[in-house]
Amino acid sequence: MRNKLSHRLFMTGLALLAAAGLAGCAEIQQAAEGVARNSGNERLAKTIRGGGTLIGGLLPIGYDEERIIGQAIALQVVARYGGVYDRPDLTRYVNLVGRSVALTCDRSDIDYRFAILNHDSINAFAAPAGYIFVTRGLLKTIKNEAELAAVLGHEIGHVTQRHILDVIQRSKQIAGVAEAGLAYAKTNPDAFKNVIDGAVKTLLDEGLDQSKELESDRLGVIFASRVGYDPAAYETFLTRLRTLKGDDPALFKTHPDFSSRLSAVQSTISEQKLPATGILLADRFSRAASGAL
Amino acid sequence: MNRRHPFLASLIFMAAVMTIAATAFGETLYVSAKSAQVRSGKTSLDPVVANLTLGDSLDVISRNERWLHVRTANGIQGWIYATYVSPSKPAGGDNELAALGKGFRRTDTSGVTASAGARGLDKASESYAHRAGITQQHRDAVDRMTASKIPDEEIQAFLKAGRLGEYAE
Repeated sequence: MRNKLSHRLFMTGLALLAAAGLAGCAEIQQAAEGVARNSGNERLAKTIRGGGTLIGGLLPIGYDEERIIGQAIALQVVARYGGVYDRPDLTRYVNLVGRSVALTCDRSDIDYRFAILNHDSINAFAAPAGYIFVTRGLLKTIKNEAELAAVLGHEIGHVTQRHILDVIQRSKQIAGVAEAGLAYAKTNPDAFKNVIDGAVKTLLDEGLDQSKELESDRLGVIFASRVGYDPAAYETFLTRLRTLKGDDPALFKTHPDFSSRLSAVQSTISEQKLPATGILLADRFSRAASGAL
Repeated sequence: MNRRHPFLASLIFMAAVMTIAATAFGETLYVSAKSAQVRSGKTSLDPVVANLTLGDSLDVISRNERWLHVRTANGIQGWIYATYVSPSKPAGGDNELAALGKGFRRTDTSGVTASAGARGLDKASESYAHRAGITQQHRDAVDRMTASKIPDEEIQAFLKAGRLGEYAE
């Protein structure tokens, strides 16, 4: 008799869980969990909750969670790279260039913020939700505003394509974790820290998939070109970078070889028919950087 | 075989009607930039007649190189810089799947979003910083970054000074 009742309850629970899935309504799932618990079937209640958790883990990360993840990763980037470079005028200039490029990127509804890391290495990073960093060393290698615009466009591309979130999403699914964001940070802060630490390791030490870097190279030159910067500036910059002896092995460990990157940029300029505007704004860049680097 | 001809004729007729309708009522485009201005003429020096935001729809009246003659949803006619529009409506915010995931994960934004208003790290990020041993100096740096704002007018002035975007010559 009890088995029959349990079976009926189980089927009801599953039906309600499926209804919750179809309706996207956590309340239905909670109601099903409550019915099972009130009937004394704690195991079924846990199954329903676990089912919701599993479904939640398979679904994309929303912006509220992305913002928390982005801030946590940004904190680690700042800590690992010696803090931000305290030059308000130069930081404002980098923000003006970056936000101008972001104005017409493929995800212009979110806020993008840019900071300079007080580090001599040549590198740049993008955390989810639009937290973007360039090192002081990278700025020293840049010769004009069009190059800076393309570099920032590359980082904006990582955000528009949610590259780091993809890494987190995959690690969540492998670990069977549903909540990587707000609720998880609150209820299981140690596990949240593990998720963030894993993402930081990928971002700073191991690097993203090469395909993601090449995609961001293509987007960087497209986004900068939309504003009017000359797309050839990014080619010049990558060629210069290739000739430099980078003192940060991370850049070369975490990015594709320059031949592939240049080839991706050149084919994008040609296929997308990006106009050679001749706009480099070398003087404006020099004025902003003068005495600050 | 004879039966197919009326069917084909109907298809051709419907396609023709749809084409004529599309031409008559103009193409609909959407603002793809965070904000965009409709001007009374096709240069950046012409006065602004409407301010639009991401996702607003526009009907195209005619095209002229980098500028489009458009009609806004409120019936205002003017010119908009072509880079600011797209044929597809931008998604913006969370997609349906992400919203569904949020429901299942039972996240409660109001309970964990810190410092009311624009300023500050979220409480969850503060908690992470504490747990990860991030110094106050570095927390303040990300806090300032989060709170930093630049008005749209200043970005437009920056574009204008650089002859960028719609201000290109």
